Amino acid sequence: MDYAVLSAPKSVAEHWQEFRPRPAVLKPATTLRRMLWNPQWNENLFLVSLAERLMTVTTAETDAHSERELLLRVARHLDRHEAFDAGSYLQIRLRFVSRSGPDHAVTSQIAYLSGAHLMAGLITR
Amino acid sequence: MTLDTAVNLTSGMMAAAFIQQSLEHLRPAVRLQERLLFVPRLLLSVLLLAASLGIHLPGIGPSLLALALVVNHLFILSFFNGPYNGGADRMSLLVLLCLTCTFNLSNPAWQELAFGYLGIQLLLSYLIAGWVKIKNPDWRSGKALRDVFLFSAYPAGENIRKWADRPRILFGAGWAVMIFELAFPLTFLSAPTLIAGLAIAALFHGANACLFGLNRFFWIWICAYPSILWLQERVMTAAVRPPLG
Repeated sequence: MDYAVLSAPKSVAEHWQEFRPRPAVLKPATTLRRMLWNPQWNENLFLVSLAERLMTVTTAETDAHSERELLLRVARHLDRHEAFDAGSYLQIRLRFVSRSGPDHAVTSQIAYLSGAHLMAGLITR
Repeated sequence: MTLDTAVNLTSGMMAAAFIQQSLEHLRPAVRLQERLLFVPRLLLSVLLLAASLGIHLPGIGPSLLALALVVNHLFILSFFNGPYNGGADRMSLLVLLCLTCTFNLSNPAWQELAFGYLGIQLLLSYLIAGWVKIKNPDWRSGKALRDVFLFSAYPAGENIRKWADRPRILFGAGWAVMIFELAFPLTFLSAPTLIAGLAIAALFHGANACLFGLNRFFWIWICAYPSILWLQERVMTAAVRPPLG
């Protein structure tokens, strides 16, 4: 999942960033610690589930719940870890990576693009 | 292993696993609404753990605590619109439901059936996973496991992705997993082979936890191990016992 922070709702996102990129090197001590304490990664797995639900034909309620949860969790993470203007807008997109074509090359395609949502409206306590 | 011992062990292990899961939802980074769902789960799990350790709780037995955990779980399922952590959550609910039935049913035969169901489901979890994999040509060729490392969302670090460059090792690992999962029901034939099978399975879950960050799978799957150990002994005892009269 990628996100972009926009200054206006109609702005075109140019600077997409991967949400919570995985570490370059996962050290053994971190691996062991994560056996007992792994909340952020488990939330990432939930985000993957939400993304899969959005891409599966389900109900409008499920789609609304999945999109809302994805946006809320990204906004909350940004609120806690990065400085941004509460009047800015958040947009997310889902990239699905798969093998395709006759040579089974690994390709990436944008499978979902959300609307722009006011950040202040997404940050809940 | 007696039914009481196995049930008590499962109950204590599940409560400990639920405590670990609940604590992950109680950090400040989590929304208040979500935290409020996991406070009761934590408290109920602590009480259930205490009860399984033999601490007497006046007026609160494991049957009531397990029922309360089921009700709490229904609210959690609704909040996340399904499982939060995929198979780990499904297994959590299965263990909880089987224990709740065992605690609350009065007929010993029904208690055995409810608890034995958990053991059977554990056995099937490996068998069916192996069957699904071996039917898939990509798993048989090693491509599926290579793709898991190459571009799936699961590798917990970029360094782990580099395993995709070792197709021979992954081909062997894929076949080892498939053969083990398909052969797992054979370990049920004796207690020593079952213990060995469960030890290998725990290592498999441990590897998944390290490589893919699936720590909850490790803890909740081993919670079901006492049920299959009890079931094996129960089935084998019934098989060798001479008929009455």
